[in-house]
Amino acid sequence: MTETCTPGQRLGLVTEFEPGAGTYVAGSFVCASLVGIQRTVPVEETADKRLPRLEVSRSTRPDPVPSPGDVVTARITRLTPRLALADILCVGEHPCAQRYSGVVRIQDVRATEIDSVRLPAAFRPGDLIRAEVLSLGDARSYFLTTAKNELGVVYAKSIAAGVPMVPLSWQEMQCPTTQSVESRKVARV
Amino acid sequence: MAFTNSSVPFFRHDRPAEVIADGKRLDGRDNEEFRTLFLNCGTISQASGSSYVELGSTKVMVGVYGPRQSDRWMKYSEQGSLDCDVRLATFATRQRGRPIQTQLEKELSAQLETALSASVLLHTFPKAVLDVQCLVLEAGGSVLAAVIAAATLALADASIELRDLVSAASVSRVQGIQLLDPTAEEEYREEAGLVLSFMPCLNQITSLTSHGVWSKDELRDAVELAMGACEEIDAALRDQLVQNASQRRDPPVLDEDDNENA
Repeated sequence: MTETCTPGQRLGLVTEFEPGAGTYVAGSFVCASLVGIQRTVPVEETADKRLPRLEVSRSTRPDPVPSPGDVVTARITRLTPRLALADILCVGEHPCAQRYSGVVRIQDVRATEIDSVRLPAAFRPGDLIRAEVLSLGDARSYFLTTAKNELGVVYAKSIAAGVPMVPLSWQEMQCPTTQSVESRKVARV
Repeated sequence: MAFTNSSVPFFRHDRPAEVIADGKRLDGRDNEEFRTLFLNCGTISQASGSSYVELGSTKVMVGVYGPRQSDRWMKYSEQGSLDCDVRLATFATRQRGRPIQTQLEKELSAQLETALSASVLLHTFPKAVLDVQCLVLEAGGSVLAAVIAAATLALADASIELRDLVSAASVSRVQGIQLLDPTAEEEYREEAGLVLSFMPCLNQITSLTSHGVWSKDELRDAVELAMGACEEIDAALRDQLVQNASQRRDPPVLDEDDNENA
């Protein structure tokens, strides 16, 4: 179906369809909550394979908001004894319209030996990290984690020469100009 | 040339003494007819969503910004919040207004928030704030109704998830006769007035603001009159949104968890 639907429009019965993205349930109906094109996902492609799913796709992409489980790109702004504060720049592949605050707590930096983590050996201000959103956090920031192989520092400049460093292992990066080695929690790309 | 230093405001035209002459309104409309409605979406390119609405001579422009991170002093909340701000331009009213926000503007902002908050699905943007900024360029009567319609259009344009579109209509009682969509002159001469905002698909009233003395029957009649007008305005809003969506010609973007081989 290629007709555009508008918020509040009834799309189907809740006994026959599952509500997907861009829809909500009002009484016994699945209604649209966005302006967009209605789409029916057939039963075979749905996750639990019980009912076909109704979705409304947005005609324009709204600004993304980080939510638990998303992989985000963030820049480290400050280090404290127990936290690394970061500005979330992108959610997945989509840049955020404005900076969201995130923190990586010392116990979320890596998966093993979390008692012996030293934050300056894992991150430095200015590094770009790939992290996963753990939870909505508190009023000020989202809680992020880098405790997976593919999460961690993806881009860092060396202190000596100020050039982007090359990763050597999961905890070291090397400056190509001066050959000095600095420690970081490196992401396995 | 010297201008006399007078503290009495000088108007080009005086207000008409009678707004209903021989049972007819000054502009020739029926009692249950509203003025020409002009709608436009996507007026402000920097905003997430925007709209421009003209209801007769009343002109309103709305920009929706966000959802953005709320200020640090706000408490943690699993739901997002709506921050509505209505401003009247200083040239909007018959007498020049003041640049700072007046009581009327604060009241309009609060009334707009009441009207919209029943419709916006706040849980879809936790911890974030949605700014709805409205500017009334000309206040020619039924300002709140025009503002609510424009704000709904802007929210839908910004792809904010809504339960339903909120449309609104204003009714004034002048000399015992109920007039739909009053002009500024008719509102000036009214004995009582009300503004109703309504969600037609869900058949729910989101706000009803009335002033003056209403008898039970008069109130019921006025509310029904306003609800009928809201249904018509709702149809116009939906037409505009569908037209705007097809004109945009963006490829439909589905959520990340859906793998589609185009």
